[in-house]
Amino acid sequence: MTEQMNGNANTGSDLKSDEKLKSELLTLNMGPQHPATHGVLRVEIKTDSEIVAQAIPHIGYLHRCMEKHCEHLDYRGIIPFCDRMDYLAAMSMEWGYALAIEKMIGQEVPKRAEYIRTIIGELQRIASHLMFYGTYAIDLGAFSPFLYAFQERETILRLFEEISGARLLYNYIWIGGVWNDLTDDHLQRIVRFCDKMDGELEKYDKLVGQNQIFIGRTAHVGVITPEQCYDYGLTGPMLRGSGIDWDLRKKRPYSLYGELDFDVVVGRGEKGQLGDCWDRYYVRWAEMKESLKIIRQCLDGIEEGPYMGKVKKIIKLPVGEIYMRSECPRGELGYHIVSKGGKTPYRVKVKSSCFTHISILGEIAPGQMVADLVASIGSTDIVLGEVDR
Amino acid sequence: MHNDLALKINTEVSGAQATAHIAEVGDSSIAVDSAHILKICECLKNDGFNVLQTISGVDYPGEEAGTDGHIELNYILADFHEDRELILKTNVRRGTAEKLGTIASVVGVWKAADWQERECYDMLGVHFLNHPDLRRILCPDDWEGFPLRKDYVVAEKYRDMTINPADKMNFYDREFFAKQKAVDKAAKQAAASAGE
Repeated sequence: MTEQMNGNANTGSDLKSDEKLKSELLTLNMGPQHPATHGVLRVEIKTDSEIVAQAIPHIGYLHRCMEKHCEHLDYRGIIPFCDRMDYLAAMSMEWGYALAIEKMIGQEVPKRAEYIRTIIGELQRIASHLMFYGTYAIDLGAFSPFLYAFQERETILRLFEEISGARLLYNYIWIGGVWNDLTDDHLQRIVRFCDKMDGELEKYDKLVGQNQIFIGRTAHVGVITPEQCYDYGLTGPMLRGSGIDWDLRKKRPYSLYGELDFDVVVGRGEKGQLGDCWDRYYVRWAEMKESLKIIRQCLDGIEEGPYMGKVKKIIKLPVGEIYMRSECPRGELGYHIVSKGGKTPYRVKVKSSCFTHISILGEIAPGQMVADLVASIGSTDIVLGEVDR
Repeated sequence: MHNDLALKINTEVSGAQATAHIAEVGDSSIAVDSAHILKICECLKNDGFNVLQTISGVDYPGEEAGTDGHIELNYILADFHEDRELILKTNVRRGTAEKLGTIASVVGVWKAADWQERECYDMLGVHFLNHPDLRRILCPDDWEGFPLRKDYVVAEKYRDMTINPADKMNFYDREFFAKQKAVDKAAKQAAASAGE
């Protein structure tokens, strides 16, 4: 299958170079409502027969100008807005924001809250990667993996719903701690979830990752070189998929990550070339395993105590600015917060990883088949809420 | 680190006027002259800053009426080999919609700048010279005004659609803060008069 796909790709490039066969370019609009674009993204594709000559992503359909909203809100009021940017990894978005504010005001976070945050953050990572796993399989024509993935994702969302009151937009991680405590029952359920997930992950890999059709569709497709990664500023699984050992949880450990033992998964070009779609799939799949490892260590170490620190009633940031990065499921999230000393920030800039990731599409698309472009878009794992903010 | 880098920029690029601002809380930064931004960025890339993470623009309108004010651009750079991070600041004239403030584009140095500069143009109205494709990115192409400027007022209609209804939620927010301000002011005055 792999060879056959390669064969096709080669004929493709021959076709393109062969002047006689060169036809008129056809403009094809994929999106804004297309299942493969994972939201409201429009890709303007100029095709030369089956081959993509140019792909121009058009974004902004979900633009709500959250950054402007933030300028009118107090520091606590911004947290729900962070949720609504990346609605599939809302906990991680809140966490990044809380980290920035805590660093700026020198807020101490109780140990138990740090444990809870790490557990929740990693569960969120698993939930987000499961979403990727399910929808990516659908993109490539396999429907049943989606149902398996969503069954497990549901377990996580149920738990989140119990502790925070919401399934997707939590407002759970607050400045100085977390809103609600985890009970022993919750912890027991997380233990059971981890035990079940071990077997499930193996099943998922057999079902999709080692599937010959899946390998045929993703290996050697959408290759991103390490140089391109740096040039476009890619982060997270996209960067690690190209074989670069870079994870903020290791390089600039925040919260408890410095004390925990886990590995950074990088792509190795196992099934095809380094930095292809399969590598990015593999990084996300293996990262779920690492997350389970982290959660288990936190469950062992979690201690009794307060889950919310003592925070001033009105939070005022000192005059100055901060740029705080954190490792979200989709990549590095950065908050650039400028304060003039008042109750509201002067400027909040959100550096979204999805925004950066989708910008490389125009570079990797030319020369691909249209169906491979779908595989490439899916492998970037974008959430349009975060792209448009 | 910031002082050394500022010195390096000044020796390699004449007229850069790089000055390091060491902050007590939060992040430190280096401020440079906007006229030489391209050369400074090239110099920093050669120094190892291989990633442009984002360009974050901050609007500072003139304090008094008649003064123009400026837009501060923060180029947030990172070095993924030695794990360094740098905020590079430069000021651009604010200008008006007809005649925007200009600065050289750095797309030639980092490709990531392409979309970051487009966002900056869209949101704050900074014209990047020699940018390959300077269009709006988040707002529609025929949108008027630059949303992240402090004096931005949303138009009432866009293509005959009401986009800024009088009873929208933000209106209450604004009212709430205005009230809060009045209460604070009254409390301060009361405290001052009690002191006398």
